[in-house]
Amino acid sequence: MEEIKNTLREFICKTFEIGDDPDFTDDVHLFNEGFVDSFGAVEIIHFIEQTYNVQITQKDITLYPMNTVEEIAEVVKSKL
Amino acid sequence: MEKTLISAVHFVENAAKKFGDKTAFEDAENSISFNELRLGARSVASGLMKSVKTGCEHPIIVLMPKTVGAIECFMGIMYAGSPYAPVNYDAPAARIAKITENLKPSAIITDKAGADKLSDTPLDVKIFLFDELVKTPRDDDGIDRVLRNVCDLDPAYIMHTSGSTGVPKGVTVSHRGVIDYIEWIVDTFPVTEKSVIGMQSAFHFDNSVFDMFAALYTGAKTYLIPEALFMYPDKLTEFLADEKISVIFWVPTVMINVANSGALEKTPLPDLELILFAGEVMPNTQLNIWRKHLPRCMYVNMYGPTESTDIATYYIVDRDYENHEVLPIGIPCANMKALILNDENKMCETGEQGELCIGGSGIALGYWNAPDLSAKVFVQNPLNPYYNERIYRTGDLVYKNEEGNIIFLGRRDSQIKLRGNRIEMGDIEAAAAAVEGIKSACALFDAPKQEIVLFIETDAQINARKFKMTLQGYIPKYMVPARIVTMEHFPHTPSGKIDRTGLRKSYIEGE
Repeated sequence: MEEIKNTLREFICKTFEIGDDPDFTDDVHLFNEGFVDSFGAVEIIHFIEQTYNVQITQKDITLYPMNTVEEIAEVVKSKL
Repeated sequence: MEKTLISAVHFVENAAKKFGDKTAFEDAENSISFNELRLGARSVASGLMKSVKTGCEHPIIVLMPKTVGAIECFMGIMYAGSPYAPVNYDAPAARIAKITENLKPSAIITDKAGADKLSDTPLDVKIFLFDELVKTPRDDDGIDRVLRNVCDLDPAYIMHTSGSTGVPKGVTVSHRGVIDYIEWIVDTFPVTEKSVIGMQSAFHFDNSVFDMFAALYTGAKTYLIPEALFMYPDKLTEFLADEKISVIFWVPTVMINVANSGALEKTPLPDLELILFAGEVMPNTQLNIWRKHLPRCMYVNMYGPTESTDIATYYIVDRDYENHEVLPIGIPCANMKALILNDENKMCETGEQGELCIGGSGIALGYWNAPDLSAKVFVQNPLNPYYNERIYRTGDLVYKNEEGNIIFLGRRDSQIKLRGNRIEMGDIEAAAAAVEGIKSACALFDAPKQEIVLFIETDAQINARKFKMTLQGYIPKYMVPARIVTMEHFPHTPSGKIDRTGLRKSYIEGE
Protein backbone atom coordinates (compact mmCIF):
# COMPACT_ATOMS: atom_id res chain seq x y z
CA MET A 1 0.00 0.00 0.00
CA GLU A 2 2.78 2.44 0.98
CA GLU A 3 4.54 1.67 -2.28
CA ILE A 4 1.43 2.33 -4.37
CA LYS A 5 0.93 5.62 -2.57
CA ASN A 6 4.55 6.64 -3.16
CA THR A 7 4.32 5.85 -6.86
CA LEU A 8 1.05 7.76 -7.17
CA ARG A 9 2.34 10.75 -5.20
CA GLU A 10 5.41 10.95 -7.38
CA PHE A 11 3.39 10.74 -10.60
CA ILE A 12 0.86 13.38 -9.51
CA CYS A 13 3.57 15.67 -8.16
CA LYS A 14 5.52 15.55 -11.42
CA THR A 15 2.61 15.62 -13.88
CA PHE A 16 0.72 18.47 -12.24
CA GLU A 17 3.81 20.45 -11.17
CA ILE A 18 2.96 20.55 -7.50
CA GLY A 19 6.50 20.97 -6.12
CA ASP A 20 6.92 20.75 -2.35
CA ASP A 21 3.55 22.23 -1.33
CA PRO A 22 2.95 21.10 2.29
CA ASP A 23 -0.82 20.95 1.66
CA PHE A 24 -0.33 18.08 -0.80
CA THR A 25 -0.98 15.15 1.55
CA ASP A 26 -2.37 11.65 1.04
CA ASP A 27 -5.85 12.63 2.13
CA VAL A 28 -6.18 16.03 0.45
CA HIS A 29 -9.01 16.24 -2.12
CA LEU A 30 -6.99 16.52 -5.34
CA PHE A 31 -9.77 18.12 -7.40
CA ASN A 32 -11.52 20.35 -4.86
CA GLU A 33 -8.26 21.73 -3.52
CA GLY A 34 -7.03 22.70 -6.95
CA PHE A 35 -4.05 20.34 -7.31
CA VAL A 36 -5.47 18.49 -10.32
CA ASP A 37 -8.08 19.71 -12.79
CA SER A 38 -10.85 17.48 -14.04
CA PHE A 39 -8.90 16.52 -17.19
CA GLY A 40 -6.07 15.34 -14.94
CA ALA A 41 -8.37 12.73 -13.43
CA VAL A 42 -8.27 10.78 -16.70
CA GLU A 43 -4.47 10.90 -16.73
CA ILE A 44 -4.27 9.48 -13.21
CA ILE A 45 -6.60 6.58 -14.05
CA HIS A 46 -4.70 5.91 -17.28
CA PHE A 47 -1.43 5.87 -15.33
CA ILE A 48 -2.60 3.33 -12.77
CA GLU A 49 -4.19 1.10 -15.40
CA GLN A 50 -0.89 1.01 -17.28
CA THR A 51 1.45 0.78 -14.29
CA TYR A 52 -0.40 -1.93 -12.38
CA ASN A 53 -2.04 -3.64 -15.33
CA VAL A 54 -5.50 -3.32 -13.78
CA GLN A 55 -8.84 -2.26 -15.25
CA ILE A 56 -10.78 0.52 -13.50
CA THR A 57 -14.43 0.10 -14.48
CA GLN A 58 -17.39 2.48 -14.41
CA LYS A 59 -18.62 0.54 -11.35
CA ASP A 60 -15.41 1.39 -9.43
CA ILE A 61 -15.91 5.08 -10.19
CA THR A 62 -19.59 4.87 -9.29
CA LEU A 63 -19.13 3.04 -6.01
CA TYR A 64 -15.83 4.23 -4.58
CA PRO A 65 -14.61 7.77 -4.06
CA MET A 66 -11.28 8.33 -5.86
CA ASN A 67 -10.43 11.88 -4.91
CA THR A 68 -7.33 11.47 -2.74
CA VAL A 69 -4.04 9.58 -3.07
CA GLU A 70 -5.23 7.35 -0.22
CA GLU A 71 -8.57 6.53 -1.91
CA ILE A 72 -7.03 5.86 -5.32
CA ALA A 73 -4.37 3.59 -3.78
CA GLU A 74 -7.11 1.72 -1.93
CA VAL A 75 -8.92 0.90 -5.19
CA VAL A 76 -5.66 -0.15 -6.89
CA LYS A 77 -4.78 -2.41 -3.96
CA SER A 78 -8.16 -4.15 -4.08
CA LYS A 79 -7.52 -5.00 -7.75
CA LEU A 80 -4.06 -6.55 -7.34
CA MET B 1 -59.63 9.62 -18.59
CA GLU B 2 -56.70 11.28 -16.90
CA LYS B 3 -57.23 14.30 -14.73
CA THR B 4 -56.26 17.59 -16.34
CA LEU B 5 -52.97 18.66 -14.86
CA ILE B 6 -53.06 21.73 -12.66
CA SER B 7 -50.02 21.09 -10.50
CA ALA B 8 -46.75 19.49 -11.56
CA VAL B 9 -47.28 17.09 -8.67
CA HIS B 10 -50.24 15.61 -10.58
CA PHE B 11 -47.55 13.97 -12.73
CA VAL B 12 -46.62 11.95 -9.65
CA GLU B 13 -50.25 11.09 -8.84
CA ASN B 14 -50.94 9.89 -12.39
CA ALA B 15 -47.64 7.99 -12.64
CA ALA B 16 -48.28 6.09 -9.40
CA LYS B 17 -51.68 4.97 -10.73
CA LYS B 18 -50.42 4.07 -14.19
CA PHE B 19 -46.94 2.66 -13.58
CA GLY B 20 -47.15 1.63 -9.91
CA ASP B 21 -44.23 -0.53 -8.85
CA LYS B 22 -42.08 0.06 -11.95
CA THR B 23 -38.74 1.69 -11.11
CA ALA B 24 -38.92 5.44 -11.61
CA PHE B 25 -35.53 6.68 -10.42
CA GLU B 26 -32.25 5.01 -9.63
CA ASP B 27 -28.93 6.26 -8.26
CA ALA B 28 -25.70 4.41 -7.42
CA GLU B 29 -27.14 3.11 -4.14
CA ASN B 30 -30.94 3.20 -4.26
CA SER B 31 -33.91 2.98 -6.55
CA ILE B 32 -37.50 4.05 -6.08
CA SER B 33 -40.74 3.05 -7.83
CA PHE B 34 -43.49 5.46 -8.88
CA ASN B 35 -45.60 4.26 -5.93
CA GLU B 36 -42.78 4.62 -3.44
CA LEU B 37 -42.06 8.10 -4.71
CA ARG B 38 -45.69 9.13 -4.23
CA LEU B 39 -45.76 7.79 -0.67
CA GLY B 40 -42.33 9.16 0.29
CA ALA B 41 -43.18 12.57 -1.11
CA ARG B 42 -46.50 12.61 0.76
CA SER B 43 -44.62 11.84 3.99
CA VAL B 44 -42.21 14.71 3.34
CA ALA B 45 -45.21 17.01 2.69
CA SER B 46 -46.91 15.89 5.89
CA GLY B 47 -43.82 16.56 7.97
CA LEU B 48 -43.48 20.04 6.48
CA MET B 49 -47.15 20.97 6.87
CA LYS B 50 -47.09 19.89 10.50
CA SER B 51 -44.30 22.16 11.61
CA VAL B 52 -43.59 25.04 9.21
CA LYS B 53 -45.52 27.49 7.02
CA THR B 54 -46.25 26.01 3.60
CA GLY B 55 -48.03 27.33 0.51
CA CYS B 56 -47.11 29.28 -2.58
CA GLU B 57 -45.54 32.14 -0.63
CA HIS B 58 -43.31 29.85 1.41
CA PRO B 59 -40.52 28.27 -0.61
CA ILE B 60 -38.43 25.45 0.80
CA ILE B 61 -34.76 24.92 0.02
CA VAL B 62 -33.43 21.46 -0.80
CA LEU B 63 -29.73 20.94 -0.15
CA MET B 64 -29.28 17.32 -1.14
CA PRO B 65 -26.79 15.32 -3.21
CA LYS B 66 -27.81 13.76 -6.52
CA THR B 67 -29.90 10.96 -5.03
CA VAL B 68 -33.46 9.66 -5.36
CA GLY B 69 -34.13 11.14 -1.90
CA ALA B 70 -33.78 14.65 -3.37
CA ILE B 71 -36.67 13.89 -5.75
CA GLU B 72 -38.87 12.82 -2.82
CA CYS B 73 -38.09 16.24 -1.30
CA PHE B 74 -39.04 18.21 -4.44
CA MET B 75 -42.29 16.35 -4.95
CA GLY B 76 -43.07 16.48 -1.23
CA ILE B 77 -42.63 20.25 -1.17
CA MET B 78 -45.04 20.60 -4.10
CA TYR B 79 -47.56 18.30 -2.38
CA ALA B 80 -47.42 20.78 0.50
CA GLY B 81 -48.23 23.59 -1.97
CA SER B 82 -44.81 25.27 -1.71
CA PRO B 83 -42.27 25.94 -4.43
CA TYR B 84 -39.09 23.89 -4.16
CA ALA B 85 -35.71 25.61 -4.39
CA PRO B 86 -32.83 23.23 -5.19
CA VAL B 87 -29.45 24.60 -4.13
CA ASN B 88 -26.03 23.38 -5.29
CA TYR B 89 -25.03 20.75 -2.71
CA ASP B 90 -21.37 21.75 -3.10
CA ALA B 91 -21.99 25.48 -2.73
CA PRO B 92 -20.15 27.15 0.14
CA ALA B 93 -22.18 27.95 3.27
CA ALA B 94 -21.75 31.69 2.63
CA ARG B 95 -23.44 31.34 -0.77
CA ILE B 96 -26.30 29.32 0.73
CA ALA B 97 -26.68 32.04 3.39
CA LYS B 98 -27.04 34.69 0.66
CA ILE B 99 -29.70 32.65 -1.12
CA THR B 100 -31.53 32.04 2.16
CA GLU B 101 -31.47 35.73 3.00
CA ASN B 102 -33.16 36.69 -0.25
CA LEU B 103 -35.52 33.71 -0.50
CA LYS B 104 -36.69 33.67 3.14
CA PRO B 105 -37.66 30.00 2.93
CA SER B 106 -39.66 28.41 5.72
CA ALA B 107 -37.24 25.47 5.89
CA ILE B 108 -34.17 23.77 4.44
CA ILE B 109 -34.24 20.02 3.85
CA THR B 110 -30.78 18.45 3.83
CA ASP B 111 -28.75 15.42 4.94
CA LYS B 112 -26.29 15.02 7.81
CA ALA B 113 -23.30 16.41 5.86
CA GLY B 114 -25.35 19.35 4.62
CA ALA B 115 -26.50 20.17 8.14
CA ASP B 116 -22.89 19.99 9.36
CA LYS B 117 -21.82 22.42 6.65
CA LEU B 118 -24.51 24.90 7.72
CA SER B 119 -23.88 24.49 11.45
CA ASP B 120 -21.41 27.39 11.70
CA THR B 121 -23.53 29.76 9.64
CA PRO B 122 -26.31 31.53 11.51
CA LEU B 123 -29.46 31.04 9.42
CA ASP B 124 -32.86 32.03 10.72
CA VAL B 125 -34.60 28.99 9.27
CA LYS B 126 -35.71 25.52 10.36
CA ILE B 127 -33.50 22.69 9.11
CA PHE B 128 -34.98 19.23 8.48
CA LEU B 129 -32.96 16.08 8.02
CA PHE B 130 -34.42 14.21 5.04
CA ASP B 131 -33.98 10.77 6.64
CA GLU B 132 -36.21 11.81 9.53
CA LEU B 133 -38.69 13.88 7.53
CA VAL B 134 -39.48 11.04 5.12
CA LYS B 135 -40.60 8.89 8.05
CA THR B 136 -43.45 11.26 9.01
CA PRO B 137 -46.86 9.51 9.07
CA ARG B 138 -48.89 10.67 6.06
CA ASP B 139 -51.65 13.26 6.36
CA ASP B 140 -53.37 12.38 3.08
CA ASP B 141 -56.50 14.43 3.84
CA GLY B 142 -54.40 17.52 4.44
CA ILE B 143 -52.47 16.99 1.21
CA ASP B 144 -55.59 16.40 -0.87
CA ARG B 145 -57.02 19.66 0.51
CA VAL B 146 -53.89 21.47 -0.70
CA LEU B 147 -54.15 19.84 -4.12
CA ARG B 148 -57.78 20.94 -4.51
CA ASN B 149 -56.77 24.55 -3.96
CA VAL B 150 -53.62 24.68 -6.09
CA CYS B 151 -53.63 27.03 -9.08
CA ASP B 152 -51.53 26.36 -12.16
CA LEU B 153 -50.00 29.84 -11.97
CA ASP B 154 -48.63 29.18 -8.50
CA PRO B 155 -44.85 28.81 -8.33
CA ALA B 156 -43.57 25.24 -8.72
CA TYR B 157 -39.86 25.83 -8.28
CA ILE B 158 -37.25 28.54 -7.81
CA MET B 159 -33.81 28.11 -9.37
CA HIS B 160 -30.93 30.41 -8.66
CA THR B 161 -28.68 31.88 -11.32
CA SER B 162 -25.64 34.09 -11.02
CA GLY B 163 -26.47 37.77 -10.37
CA SER B 164 -24.28 40.68 -11.49
CA THR B 165 -24.10 42.24 -8.01
CA GLY B 166 -23.06 39.03 -6.25
CA VAL B 167 -26.57 38.10 -5.07
CA PRO B 168 -28.01 35.07 -6.91
CA LYS B 169 -31.34 35.64 -8.66
CA GLY B 170 -34.22 33.27 -7.80
CA VAL B 171 -36.00 32.49 -11.07
CA THR B 172 -39.57 31.51 -10.16
CA VAL B 173 -41.36 29.12 -12.52
CA SER B 174 -45.06 28.17 -12.45
CA HIS B 175 -46.72 24.76 -12.52
CA ARG B 176 -48.21 25.73 -15.90
CA GLY B 177 -44.70 26.31 -17.25
CA VAL B 178 -43.56 22.85 -16.14
CA ILE B 179 -46.69 21.05 -17.36
CA ASP B 180 -46.75 22.65 -20.83
CA TYR B 181 -43.02 22.14 -21.30
CA ILE B 182 -43.10 18.46 -20.36
CA GLU B 183 -46.21 17.73 -22.44
CA TRP B 184 -44.59 19.40 -25.42
CA ILE B 185 -41.21 17.67 -25.15
CA VAL B 186 -42.66 14.21 -24.61
CA ASP B 187 -45.17 14.63 -27.44
CA THR B 188 -42.46 15.88 -29.81
CA PHE B 189 -39.62 13.44 -29.15
CA PRO B 190 -39.55 9.67 -28.65
CA VAL B 191 -39.61 9.25 -24.86
CA THR B 192 -41.72 6.27 -23.78
CA GLU B 193 -42.31 3.87 -20.90
CA LYS B 194 -39.41 1.78 -22.25
CA SER B 195 -36.93 4.67 -22.25
CA VAL B 196 -34.05 4.89 -19.81
CA ILE B 197 -33.01 8.50 -19.28
CA GLY B 198 -29.39 9.13 -18.24
CA MET B 199 -29.48 12.23 -16.06
CA GLN B 200 -26.41 14.45 -16.24
CA SER B 201 -27.78 17.68 -14.81
CA ALA B 202 -27.51 18.56 -11.16
CA PHE B 203 -30.86 19.41 -9.58
CA HIS B 204 -30.10 23.12 -9.31
CA PHE B 205 -29.99 23.38 -13.11
CA ASP B 206 -33.30 23.35 -14.89
CA ASN B 207 -32.36 20.57 -17.33
CA SER B 208 -33.26 18.41 -14.31
CA VAL B 209 -36.91 19.35 -14.89
CA PHE B 210 -36.84 17.19 -18.01
CA ASP B 211 -35.02 14.29 -16.33
CA MET B 212 -37.57 14.14 -13.52
CA PHE B 213 -40.90 15.03 -15.09
CA ALA B 214 -40.40 13.29 -18.45
CA ALA B 215 -39.96 10.04 -16.50
CA LEU B 216 -43.07 10.76 -14.42
CA TYR B 217 -45.14 11.60 -17.49
CA THR B 218 -44.13 8.62 -19.62
CA GLY B 219 -43.23 5.91 -17.11
CA ALA B 220 -39.60 5.92 -18.25
CA LYS B 221 -36.80 5.25 -15.79
CA THR B 222 -34.29 7.97 -15.00
CA TYR B 223 -30.83 6.97 -13.85
CA LEU B 224 -29.14 9.70 -11.79
CA ILE B 225 -25.61 9.32 -13.18
CA PRO B 226 -23.01 9.80 -10.40
CA GLU B 227 -21.18 13.08 -10.88
CA ALA B 228 -17.72 11.50 -10.58
CA LEU B 229 -18.30 9.59 -13.84
CA PHE B 230 -18.32 12.82 -15.84
CA MET B 231 -14.59 13.21 -15.18
CA TYR B 232 -13.90 9.95 -17.03
CA PRO B 233 -15.47 9.98 -20.52
CA ASP B 234 -14.61 6.35 -21.35
CA LYS B 235 -16.10 5.10 -18.06
CA LEU B 236 -19.14 7.27 -18.72
CA THR B 237 -19.84 5.59 -22.08
CA GLU B 238 -19.24 2.21 -20.44
CA PHE B 239 -21.93 3.20 -17.93
CA LEU B 240 -24.36 4.23 -20.70
CA ALA B 241 -23.87 0.83 -22.34
CA ASP B 242 -24.18 -1.19 -19.10
CA GLU B 243 -27.34 0.62 -17.99
CA LYS B 244 -28.87 0.62 -21.51
CA ILE B 245 -29.43 4.37 -21.44
CA SER B 246 -31.62 5.43 -24.40
CA VAL B 247 -32.22 9.15 -23.82
CA ILE B 248 -29.79 11.84 -22.69
CA PHE B 249 -30.23 15.55 -22.17
CA TRP B 250 -26.75 16.91 -21.49
CA VAL B 251 -24.76 20.13 -21.61
CA PRO B 252 -22.47 20.34 -24.65
CA THR B 253 -19.33 20.46 -22.45
CA VAL B 254 -19.87 16.84 -21.47
CA MET B 255 -20.60 15.80 -25.06
CA ILE B 256 -17.45 17.61 -26.21
CA ASN B 257 -15.32 15.76 -23.63
CA VAL B 258 -16.77 12.42 -24.67
CA ALA B 259 -16.22 13.14 -28.38
CA ASN B 260 -12.63 14.33 -27.83
CA SER B 261 -11.69 11.37 -25.64
CA GLY B 262 -12.28 8.75 -28.33
CA ALA B 263 -14.70 6.94 -25.97
CA LEU B 264 -17.35 6.68 -28.71
CA GLU B 265 -14.99 4.53 -30.78
CA LYS B 266 -14.34 2.15 -27.91
CA THR B 267 -17.84 1.51 -26.61
CA PRO B 268 -20.81 0.83 -28.88
CA LEU B 269 -24.05 2.39 -27.59
CA PRO B 270 -26.82 0.50 -29.42
CA ASP B 271 -29.54 1.55 -26.95
CA LEU B 272 -29.02 5.29 -27.30
CA GLU B 273 -31.79 6.86 -29.42
CA LEU B 274 -32.38 10.45 -28.44
CA ILE B 275 -29.68 13.04 -27.67
CA LEU B 276 -30.84 16.44 -26.48
CA PHE B 277 -28.43 19.19 -25.55
CA ALA B 278 -28.73 22.72 -24.20
CA GLY B 279 -26.97 25.22 -22.01
CA GLU B 280 -24.27 26.57 -24.31
CA VAL B 281 -23.12 26.48 -27.93
CA MET B 282 -22.49 22.97 -29.28
CA PRO B 283 -19.47 22.99 -31.64
CA ASN B 284 -20.00 21.25 -34.98
CA THR B 285 -16.72 19.31 -34.89
CA GLN B 286 -17.71 17.33 -31.82
CA LEU B 287 -21.34 17.00 -32.84
CA ASN B 288 -20.20 15.48 -36.13
CA ILE B 289 -18.10 12.92 -34.22
CA TRP B 290 -21.21 11.86 -32.30
CA ARG B 291 -23.24 11.71 -35.51
CA LYS B 292 -20.57 9.62 -37.22
CA HIS B 293 -20.45 7.01 -34.44
CA LEU B 294 -24.15 7.02 -33.62
CA PRO B 295 -25.87 7.80 -36.93
CA ARG B 296 -29.25 6.35 -35.90
CA CYS B 297 -29.73 8.77 -33.00
CA MET B 298 -31.90 11.86 -33.13
CA TYR B 299 -29.94 14.99 -32.16
CA VAL B 300 -31.71 18.12 -30.92
CA ASN B 301 -30.02 21.45 -30.24
CA MET B 302 -32.10 23.25 -27.63
CA TYR B 303 -32.02 26.78 -26.29
CA GLY B 304 -33.58 28.32 -23.24
CA PRO B 305 -32.66 30.51 -20.31
CA THR B 306 -33.82 29.46 -16.83
CA GLU B 307 -36.44 32.22 -17.18
CA SER B 308 -38.26 30.21 -19.85
CA THR B 309 -38.81 26.87 -18.02
CA ASP B 310 -35.73 25.13 -19.35
CA ILE B 311 -36.34 25.30 -23.09
CA ALA B 312 -37.76 27.94 -25.43
CA THR B 313 -36.56 26.89 -28.89
CA TYR B 314 -35.22 23.73 -30.54
CA TYR B 315 -33.60 22.52 -33.73
CA ILE B 316 -33.55 18.92 -34.91
CA VAL B 317 -30.13 18.37 -36.48
CA ASP B 318 -30.75 17.02 -39.98
CA ARG B 319 -27.28 17.16 -41.53
CA ASP B 320 -23.59 17.58 -40.73
CA TYR B 321 -22.63 21.18 -40.14
CA GLU B 322 -19.29 22.49 -41.41
CA ASN B 323 -16.99 24.31 -39.01
CA HIS B 324 -17.70 27.74 -40.46
CA GLU B 325 -21.48 27.28 -40.13
CA VAL B 326 -23.53 27.99 -37.03
CA LEU B 327 -25.87 25.32 -35.69
CA PRO B 328 -29.30 27.01 -35.43
CA ILE B 329 -31.27 27.13 -32.19
CA GLY B 330 -34.31 26.67 -34.40
CA ILE B 331 -37.93 27.48 -33.71
CA PRO B 332 -40.04 27.95 -30.55
CA CYS B 333 -41.61 25.02 -28.70
CA ALA B 334 -45.38 24.65 -28.99
CA ASN B 335 -46.20 26.67 -25.87
CA MET B 336 -43.67 29.42 -26.53
CA LYS B 337 -43.08 32.22 -29.00
CA ALA B 338 -39.90 33.96 -30.02
CA LEU B 339 -39.71 37.61 -31.06
CA ILE B 340 -36.55 39.21 -32.38
CA LEU B 341 -36.69 42.93 -31.56
CA ASN B 342 -34.41 45.71 -32.74
CA ASP B 343 -33.37 48.75 -30.66
CA GLU B 344 -36.67 50.46 -31.50
CA ASN B 345 -38.66 47.49 -30.23
CA LYS B 346 -39.77 46.61 -33.75
CA MET B 347 -39.70 43.10 -35.19
CA CYS B 348 -36.47 42.40 -37.09
CA GLU B 349 -36.51 41.38 -40.73
CA THR B 350 -35.02 38.04 -41.80
CA GLY B 351 -31.24 38.31 -41.40
CA GLU B 352 -31.44 41.41 -39.22
CA GLN B 353 -29.78 41.14 -35.84
CA GLY B 354 -31.80 41.84 -32.67
CA GLU B 355 -32.53 40.77 -29.12
CA LEU B 356 -34.34 37.51 -28.61
CA CYS B 357 -37.49 38.01 -26.54
CA ILE B 358 -39.55 35.07 -25.43
CA GLY B 359 -43.26 34.79 -24.75
CA GLY B 360 -45.60 31.94 -23.87
CA SER B 361 -46.75 29.89 -20.91
CA GLY B 362 -43.23 28.93 -19.92
CA ILE B 363 -42.17 32.47 -19.04
CA ALA B 364 -41.08 32.61 -15.41
CA LEU B 365 -43.23 34.48 -12.91
CA GLY B 366 -40.23 36.69 -12.14
CA TYR B 367 -37.27 36.85 -9.76
CA TRP B 368 -38.19 36.01 -6.20
CA ASN B 369 -38.26 39.07 -3.93
CA ALA B 370 -36.74 41.27 -6.62
CA PRO B 371 -39.55 43.26 -8.29
CA ASP B 372 -37.22 45.93 -9.72
CA LEU B 373 -34.94 43.37 -11.30
CA SER B 374 -37.97 41.50 -12.67
CA ALA B 375 -39.53 44.66 -14.13
CA LYS B 376 -36.41 45.29 -16.20
CA VAL B 377 -36.54 42.03 -18.15
CA PHE B 378 -40.11 40.72 -17.80
CA VAL B 379 -41.96 43.36 -19.78
CA GLN B 380 -45.16 43.90 -21.76
CA ASN B 381 -44.83 42.70 -25.35
CA PRO B 382 -44.25 46.02 -27.19
CA LEU B 383 -45.92 44.60 -30.30
CA ASN B 384 -49.16 43.93 -28.41
CA PRO B 385 -50.99 47.11 -27.33
CA TYR B 386 -54.27 45.23 -26.72
CA TYR B 387 -53.93 43.04 -23.64
CA ASN B 388 -51.41 42.00 -20.97
CA GLU B 389 -48.77 39.75 -22.41
CA ARG B 390 -45.45 39.38 -20.70
CA ILE B 391 -42.28 38.61 -22.57
CA TYR B 392 -38.79 37.97 -21.26
CA ARG B 393 -35.90 39.96 -22.70
CA THR B 394 -33.11 37.38 -22.84
CA GLY B 395 -30.19 39.72 -23.58
CA ASP B 396 -29.15 37.25 -26.29
CA LEU B 397 -28.40 38.56 -29.78
CA VAL B 398 -29.83 36.51 -32.63
CA TYR B 399 -31.17 36.66 -36.17
CA LYS B 400 -33.56 34.58 -38.23
CA ASN B 401 -32.19 32.87 -41.34
CA GLU B 402 -33.93 32.21 -44.68
CA GLU B 403 -35.26 28.86 -43.47
CA GLY B 404 -36.93 30.56 -40.49
CA ASN B 405 -34.46 29.19 -37.95
CA ILE B 406 -33.04 31.38 -35.23
CA ILE B 407 -29.25 31.74 -35.10
CA PHE B 408 -27.57 32.62 -31.80
CA LEU B 409 -24.78 35.23 -31.99
CA GLY B 410 -23.82 36.18 -28.42
CA ARG B 411 -24.65 38.31 -25.39
CA ARG B 412 -25.47 41.99 -25.01
CA ASP B 413 -23.78 42.18 -21.58
CA SER B 414 -20.90 40.62 -19.63
CA GLN B 415 -22.77 37.42 -18.76
CA ILE B 416 -20.94 34.34 -20.02
CA LYS B 417 -21.51 30.63 -20.39
CA LEU B 418 -18.73 28.38 -19.16
CA ARG B 419 -19.15 24.60 -19.37
CA GLY B 420 -22.91 25.15 -19.40
CA ASN B 421 -22.88 27.41 -16.35
CA ARG B 422 -24.28 30.90 -16.63
CA ILE B 423 -21.94 33.32 -14.89
CA GLU B 424 -22.03 37.08 -14.28
CA MET B 425 -18.54 38.59 -14.07
CA GLY B 426 -19.83 40.94 -11.36
CA ASP B 427 -20.64 37.95 -9.18
CA ILE B 428 -16.97 36.87 -9.19
CA GLU B 429 -15.71 40.43 -8.73
CA ALA B 430 -17.95 40.92 -5.67
CA ALA B 431 -16.61 37.71 -4.11
CA ALA B 432 -12.96 38.64 -4.79
CA ALA B 433 -13.35 42.18 -3.51
CA ALA B 434 -14.73 40.79 -0.23
CA VAL B 435 -11.43 39.00 0.49
CA GLU B 436 -9.23 40.82 2.99
CA GLY B 437 -6.37 42.77 1.45
CA ILE B 438 -7.98 43.03 -1.99
CA LYS B 439 -8.60 46.60 -3.07
CA SER B 440 -10.41 45.92 -6.30
CA ALA B 441 -11.14 43.06 -8.71
CA CYS B 442 -11.92 42.70 -12.39
CA ALA B 443 -12.96 39.44 -14.08
CA LEU B 444 -12.64 38.92 -17.82
CA PHE B 445 -13.52 35.94 -19.98
CA ASP B 446 -10.90 34.50 -22.31
CA ALA B 447 -13.24 33.01 -24.90
CA PRO B 448 -10.66 31.14 -27.05
CA LYS B 449 -9.26 29.36 -24.00
CA GLN B 450 -12.68 29.09 -22.33
CA GLU B 451 -11.40 30.35 -19.02
CA ILE B 452 -11.99 33.22 -16.62
CA VAL B 453 -9.08 35.52 -15.79
CA LEU B 454 -9.32 37.48 -12.55
CA PHE B 455 -7.29 40.65 -12.03
CA ILE B 456 -6.84 41.73 -8.44
CA GLU B 457 -5.46 44.97 -7.14
CA THR B 458 -3.52 44.31 -3.94
CA ASP B 459 -0.29 45.06 -2.10
CA ALA B 460 -0.21 41.58 -0.59
CA GLN B 461 1.68 38.54 -1.89
CA ILE B 462 -0.90 36.15 -3.28
CA ASN B 463 -0.57 32.38 -3.73
CA ALA B 464 -2.89 31.72 -6.68
CA ARG B 465 -4.03 28.26 -5.57
CA LYS B 466 -4.75 29.41 -2.03
CA PHE B 467 -6.56 32.49 -3.27
CA LYS B 468 -8.77 30.26 -5.44
CA MET B 469 -9.53 28.16 -2.36
CA THR B 470 -10.55 31.32 -0.50
CA LEU B 471 -12.87 32.27 -3.36
CA GLN B 472 -14.43 28.83 -3.16
CA GLY B 473 -15.65 29.91 0.26
CA TYR B 474 -17.90 32.48 -1.43
CA ILE B 475 -18.77 31.26 -4.89
CA PRO B 476 -19.36 27.82 -6.45
CA LYS B 477 -16.34 26.01 -7.84
CA TYR B 478 -17.40 26.43 -11.48
CA MET B 479 -17.13 30.22 -11.07
CA VAL B 480 -13.59 30.20 -9.67
CA PRO B 481 -11.23 31.81 -12.23
CA ALA B 482 -8.59 29.67 -13.92
CA ARG B 483 -5.96 32.44 -13.86
CA ILE B 484 -5.20 35.07 -11.26
CA VAL B 485 -3.23 38.18 -12.17
CA THR B 486 -2.18 40.46 -9.32
CA MET B 487 -1.12 44.08 -9.66
CA GLU B 488 -0.50 46.95 -7.28
CA HIS B 489 -2.50 49.42 -9.35
CA PHE B 490 -5.14 48.84 -11.99
CA PRO B 491 -4.96 50.90 -15.20
CA HIS B 492 -7.87 53.34 -15.42
CA THR B 493 -9.76 54.99 -18.26
CA PRO B 494 -9.95 58.80 -18.40
CA SER B 495 -13.37 58.60 -16.73
CA GLY B 496 -11.84 56.77 -13.76
CA LYS B 497 -13.21 53.28 -14.46
CA ILE B 498 -11.02 50.18 -14.53
CA ASP B 499 -9.59 49.93 -18.04
CA ARG B 500 -11.01 46.54 -18.94
CA THR B 501 -10.15 46.86 -22.61
CA GLY B 502 -6.54 47.65 -21.71
CA LEU B 503 -6.30 44.68 -19.35
CA ARG B 504 -7.77 42.43 -22.00
CA LYS B 505 -5.31 43.67 -24.63
CA SER B 506 -2.23 43.33 -22.42
CA TYR B 507 -2.96 40.09 -20.63
CA ILE B 508 -5.41 38.05 -22.71
CA GLU B 509 -5.17 38.95 -26.39
CA GLY B 510 -1.54 40.03 -26.24
CA GLU B 511 -0.18 36.61 -25.35
